[in-house]
Amino acid sequence: MLPGYCTLDHDGCVTCSDAGIPVRVVSMEGDDALCEDTAGNRARIAVELVVPVRVGEVLLTHGGVAIGKVAAQEEDFSEVRR
Amino acid sequence: MKYVDEFRDGELARAVAAGIASITDPDRHYKIMEVCGGHTHTIYRHGIKDLLPDQVELVHGPGCPVCVLPMGRVDEGIEIAERPEVIFTCFGDMMRVPGSRGNLLEIKAEGADIRMVYSPLDALRIARENPEREVVFYAIGFETTAPSTALTLQRAKKEGIENFSVFCNHVTIVPPVRALLDSPDLRLDAFIGPGHVSTVIGCRPYEFMSADYDKPCVVAGFEPLDLLQSILMLMRQLEDGRCEVENQYGRVVPWEGNLQALKSMAEVFELRPYFEWRGLGFIAQSALKLSPAYADFDAELRYSTPGVRVADPKACQCGEVLKGVLKPHECRVFGTACTPERPLGALMVSSEGACAAYYNFGRKSFEKVEIGSRK
Repeated sequence: MLPGYCTLDHDGCVTCSDAGIPVRVVSMEGDDALCEDTAGNRARIAVELVVPVRVGEVLLTHGGVAIGKVAAQEEDFSEVRR
Repeated sequence: MKYVDEFRDGELARAVAAGIASITDPDRHYKIMEVCGGHTHTIYRHGIKDLLPDQVELVHGPGCPVCVLPMGRVDEGIEIAERPEVIFTCFGDMMRVPGSRGNLLEIKAEGADIRMVYSPLDALRIARENPEREVVFYAIGFETTAPSTALTLQRAKKEGIENFSVFCNHVTIVPPVRALLDSPDLRLDAFIGPGHVSTVIGCRPYEFMSADYDKPCVVAGFEPLDLLQSILMLMRQLEDGRCEVENQYGRVVPWEGNLQALKSMAEVFELRPYFEWRGLGFIAQSALKLSPAYADFDAELRYSTPGVRVADPKACQCGEVLKGVLKPHECRVFGTACTPERPLGALMVSSEGACAAYYNFGRKSFEKVEIGSRK
């Protein structure tokens, strides 16, 4: 794990609106999903606000609730390099 | 790791910094505000400021909910927490925010049942496990955090949990930015928009910046390259004479936001007519309270909180720092009477607060500052 990046056990300031943590869905458990962060920490995350959710997807979570999905796209830095 | 490594590539960072330098007008001073405390943190942790030309000044915005919370709201939370029947729950950073009579940690040491939670859903679980007690959650945060409170209340209502209530201090990001743009103190050229707030609200709410104030805005991610690229995008807009809302953080932020989260918030919350912000005063329609459908869960109604106003300590200059008028180290008590260990102002409490970021990561910056310039 790289230092400084948000994980489930180190997210900076959760009250700050922008402490979002990317996690990968491991399995579904009703309205929740078991998710794993970049450090291997696992937690139950409420996923009602981002349904439908599939195992393997990367979600952005905040305060135990998924608020978005991280797109599975390659980032394009060609603009930066020009 | 994917989504991390590629945003910390030193070679790319140098290329972007060179790009910024190449279009910087040496005779112009650029003031760019990063609205979000998380961005402030990244800027100082990764030394981004040192990669930028001297002409480009980054100004810290009001995007830390703990920092903008007026002291009266802390005192009211403490009053609820002191009730013997109450289990008071809140996020960790909230525990150390000073009220006029101390902070929640000190009240806890005196015997109040105050518990730190990671999620409002944890507070709801505590309510389920303690049906004979009243469980209150101190809700705070911008639109990133508000959906988790909304979802928790929807679950509480669905399950018929009656011993749970929320002391709501959620705030919204657009009204304070508009207030800053209206402020005569500040001349800003462009804005770095908050990435994760925008995951929920999308990019459309920022269009007023370009439409009404001719200011470019780029919604940005939180890795070092995200921020550098966003600054480059803003500089290109300024160079071209464009004023647009652009989305640098497309891998996470949909232009329309998260409609499911917005729907959940619309059901649970409504806008307050006005709300007090530390340093910015009262701002119309800038905060959320529970809607009538959720009035049974409203701690303000359950405990008849009086709505007290408490002035900040006189030595504290959080207000000027929040507005970007002063840099954190220019505050007269920075690093002396006010430190992360013993904070006077909220900006030093929160790890995302501008003063804490300066204190923890900004040593190199201080070397450039004449100590005598402190006011």
